Amino acid sequence: PFQECIKPVKVEKKPGNAAAKIRIEADGSYFQINQDGGAQKLEKAKITLNDCLACSGCITSAESVLITQQSHEELCKVLAWNKTAAPKEQKLVVVSVSPQSRASLAARCKMDVLETAKKLTAFFKSLGKCVHYVFDTTFSRTFSLLESQREFVRRFREQGQGTQALPMLASACPGWICYAEKTHGSFIIPYISTTKSPQQVMGSLVKGHFAEQQHLRPDQIYHVTVMPCYDKKLEASRPDFFNQEYQTRDVDCVITTGEVLKLLEQEGISLSDVAPAPLDTMFSSAAAEELTSHSGGGSGGYLEHIYKHAAKELFGIQVDTIQYKPLKNKDFQEVTLEKDGVVLLQFALAYGFRNIQNLVQKLKRGKSPYHYVEVMACPSGCLNGGGQIKADGESSKDQLQQVERLYEALQTEVPEKNRTVAALYEQWLGGVGSDKALKALHTQYHAVERASTGFNIKW
Amino acid sequence: GAGAAVPRPGAPRVPVLVPGLEPRREPAGVLRRGPDCAAVGQGRACVPHPQRGHHPAPPTPGQGWACRAVLGEGHQRTVRRVAWSPCGSYLASASFDATTCIWKKQEDGFECVTTLEGHENEVKSVAWAPSGTLLATCSRDKSVWVWEVDEEEEYECVSVLNSHTQDVKHVVWHPNQELLASASYDDTVKLYQEEEDDWVCCATLEGHESTVWSVAFDRSGERLASCSDDKTVRIWRRYKPGNEEGVACSGTDPTWKCVCNLSGYHTRTIYDVAWCHLTGALATACGDDAIRIFEESSASDPQQ
Repeated sequence: PFQECIKPVKVEKKPGNAAAKIRIEADGSYFQINQDGGAQKLEKAKITLNDCLACSGCITSAESVLITQQSHEELCKVLAWNKTAAPKEQKLVVVSVSPQSRASLAARCKMDVLETAKKLTAFFKSLGKCVHYVFDTTFSRTFSLLESQREFVRRFREQGQGTQALPMLASACPGWICYAEKTHGSFIIPYISTTKSPQQVMGSLVKGHFAEQQHLRPDQIYHVTVMPCYDKKLEASRPDFFNQEYQTRDVDCVITTGEVLKLLEQEGISLSDVAPAPLDTMFSSAAAEELTSHSGGGSGGYLEHIYKHAAKELFGIQVDTIQYKPLKNKDFQEVTLEKDGVVLLQFALAYGFRNIQNLVQKLKRGKSPYHYVEVMACPSGCLNGGGQIKADGESSKDQLQQVERLYEALQTEVPEKNRTVAALYEQWLGGVGSDKALKALHTQYHAVERASTGFNIKW
Repeated sequence: GAGAAVPRPGAPRVPVLVPGLEPRREPAGVLRRGPDCAAVGQGRACVPHPQRGHHPAPPTPGQGWACRAVLGEGHQRTVRRVAWSPCGSYLASASFDATTCIWKKQEDGFECVTTLEGHENEVKSVAWAPSGTLLATCSRDKSVWVWEVDEEEEYECVSVLNSHTQDVKHVVWHPNQELLASASYDDTVKLYQEEEDDWVCCATLEGHESTVWSVAFDRSGERLASCSDDKTVRIWRRYKPGNEEGVACSGTDPTWKCVCNLSGYHTRTIYDVAWCHLTGALATACGDDAIRIFEESSASDPQQ
């Protein structure tokens, strides 16, 4: 750890005089010499990467260390190792691509998303010749949407019973989650939805059900995801998503859309020139020739799905189209369900930290009128994530519009209608709302203690 | 040392040191803690300077300063900066506890009307815009936040700017426009203004070789002075598109160019710079225990 590290290290302290002598051995190890002459070997101060990340006590480079641990270079190393490894040591490599990354690549390579998906599948499978499956996180997002819907209705019905808090705040964005844990801690955590993000649901699926089906242990699979931002790398390395039993992460490596482009450039390949491969349909919504999406925008559509479901479940109202009312800026929008002049549901979209800040402020003062808020850290949402491909020549605004157009060109599917997902609830999880479902599809959050740097004030 | 430097033709303009202000070895004075002294910040026991043999006489009524308030409950850590609002009724305090408090003057003291939260760690500076409706804060979390206050004294975050790559030390507003400047550990000064429904970084001033600790605009706002750990003060001038001097601009945005580098005068980090709007003189606060005053010599070329 850096000299300025203030992370407390648990030390077994013997009662007695504080003063002790320290002897340094020839090999550089430290021994504490006690009053009675006995020597105790002192442990080297160590700090886990996750502890380091969670604290903001010093100018740490831990986050950049972590981020370089998960990169396209790391992926190449793993694939190279895998190719030459003994059959018993070899891992099954699975790549899960987010629809936002796919749309960004489609815009850059000037193709439609279906063509992009097929060519990406072919490209990944050719990489190191040991990528075996390429999935689409739209599939796992179906679970996230269904769970969020159910969670909201339950919380709404339990209002006033002291346990669950409203507004429920979206949980799919790790940029928001890490910020919330660090800056608002135990105040804000009760409001955040416990539903896992599509990335992590896919992690549970691949290392759980899929591994079983393949007769493999979870640690025999190397799971890569392609995401529109860097914060997804931090999400993947959360201790909550580490499988203790098999000592493996649910998601081993996250690469950004931009890193995929670097990979292509490294291999000297232009995606549009790649011969398309059939899509892996194991975890997918429709047949091999079709891709589906979810309505409600490029960040997953949480507000829309929860709103429509809640309107039906709680008030028997069928909503087909949603009217968004923009407030002070385009990243803060409201949706209201009214009947006979009474407001039944009030939802909002809050993208970007300025809007998040104002939302939390209102919450703290008890002035928030909302039941649900789709919170995302990036202005304009995931399609504009920090890891997406940057505009090349055209304005970034035009680029974003193009990506949005491509993303929204797909047919949307209602999550309840997905038969594969419904079947998996039974086969894999033993039913909706089961303990297994809770464990696989939900998570928890941890407030980060604010570090107090008593010694080193940096003016 | 002091002395007038004759500007060579074509050389950057060299301001003159006002003679009489030699670098001093002893600290000029100490904060004295009297019975009703308000030390805003960590109370530190003050030691009378050994070379001073006496304590100043207590202020006679009608003269001197009286401590009116001690605002000890607002922050949990060092208070790093305080700033009066243009109207004088409010005081903002920026703290290492990651919050900024807004205090309102009442008849019998000050009341904390709101606490601005959101920064992830130490807030280094706070500044009010001349209009009085905008406030800027900056932090070790590398961001600059712009806040707006409405008639009901409600503060709202208007923008979170993540342009700097390191700790942001100071924020300063332009004297008469809604243009914001920030100084950072990343060796740059950045400028921000409103564009559509958000604030954007419209200029980055590169040149310093180490942390920029402070910035100051001149009275007109056409020039900016920055001071740094690299022991220099740099003066930057704004050039609008279509300017006579032929300085290139991109589109409709002005360009800022460094027109002077005051190098070799300071022997340690320069922590602060102040530009007098009446006389045009620049004063610097330096880690070598001295204050230096710079004035422009009238013989120099205004474009340098």
